[in-house]
Amino acid sequence: MSALPGGPPPSPTASGTVDRLVRALGRLPGIGAKSAERLAHHLLRCPVEEAIELAEAVRAARDQIRHCEVCAHLTESGQARCAICRDPRRDRSVICVVEQSRDLMALENAGSFGGTYHVLLGRLSPLQGVFEDQLNLKSLEERVQGGEVREVILATNPTLEGDATARLVADRLAPLGVAITRLARGLASGGSLEFANKEMLADALQGRQRL
Amino acid sequence: MAAIRTLALVIRSVDVFETSRVLTLYTRELGKVSALAKGARRLKSPFQSGLDLLSVCDIVLLHKASEALDLLTEAVLAERYEALTHDTAALYGGCYVAELLDALTDRHDPHPRLFDASRVTLRHLGDPVSRPSRILRFELACLRELGLMPALDTCVHCGQPPSPTEGDRVAFGLATGGVLCPGCRPGQPHVATLSGDTLEAIRALASPGDAWKATWGDPETLGPVRSTVGAVISHLIGRRPRLLPFV
Repeated sequence: MSALPGGPPPSPTASGTVDRLVRALGRLPGIGAKSAERLAHHLLRCPVEEAIELAEAVRAARDQIRHCEVCAHLTESGQARCAICRDPRRDRSVICVVEQSRDLMALENAGSFGGTYHVLLGRLSPLQGVFEDQLNLKSLEERVQGGEVREVILATNPTLEGDATARLVADRLAPLGVAITRLARGLASGGSLEFANKEMLADALQGRQRL
Repeated sequence: MAAIRTLALVIRSVDVFETSRVLTLYTRELGKVSALAKGARRLKSPFQSGLDLLSVCDIVLLHKASEALDLLTEAVLAERYEALTHDTAALYGGCYVAELLDALTDRHDPHPRLFDASRVTLRHLGDPVSRPSRILRFELACLRELGLMPALDTCVHCGQPPSPTEGDRVAFGLATGGVLCPGCRPGQPHVATLSGDTLEAIRALASPGDAWKATWGDPETLGPVRSTVGAVISHLIGRRPRLLPFV
């Protein structure tokens, strides 16, 4: 493209396609304008197959991944229920409530929980415009009302918004007569009292257990 | 690059990269700042899990002279408000305080009294009786500290005492910022009429002393005050605050 007479020369990076790619990458969380540019130029330099594989993986994930009809964890489109909800060995009388699927995966990787999950698909975050009607609460109430559940473990993050979400869930489930527990907080295994901060120590003292 | 130590209220937190956060902090000595807290989401971070939303921390900040984000190097929790985790209405009130501090204040424009007023307000949001009045008092403190307080005693245009019309009702210019006398009212946009009681309640809520406590648990008086103050703030920031319908 030649410059217009008297006008500025075209920018050497001016390209609608590249700009579109940079804008798309820049919308990803934690990616700023510079990082988006860097990623875009990496994708343009790397082997074509690698870039196409990424694009295909994104398309396949968007087309084929659904939310489980029971717990809202991720599942393949051919399956109405996720692998955990389909597994007959899982204890259906205990539900662990998490904010998002990533938290569920972290708990699953720990390998110490044999019950089922419920993903809220977010947390109460008023400043981000997330209020209680946007959380996946109704289906949790329906699961508990089913009568099979004896305990709900609230595993939201130990932050202001996570704690407020846990309180909200507990208040909603309280009339249903199910046991509601919260993940313990305080000292980490292998840690040292000497280096624990006052919040950790306060939490640990508050959540102490009889031996 | 100077290291500055100050108290800060976390009013916004956005996760970035693997473990870091970009925080908007309302500090006592520097006003509003944005800072990068590297590794803040790691359990063993130098910030000791203190950088939670609406908590007050004692921080050390490396202040950048350029437009770049300041760098947070230390943070120790100074005060956390438990009521905000137990009561959704209190959480909404706290978030409204954060939203106003973010929307109404400029960067690096310190107002220590506004910082202190924020802490006092957050500390007492667990009390449902005084909560609506406390939030209104905070809003008016915000307007006064930032030089945006509407004129309540004299006409905002001519400075004369506004003689009431239609009984004890007085014209109040939401856009012009205060009461209007009958002579100045014509042609003014966004004019509401306030009763003498409403105007008196706004004066009490904006004044030092305990007179404002008379408004506790009085929805009949607080309703029109809420509408008026909410409209003034919406006009000033150019939109209705997201949390306004919840307070």
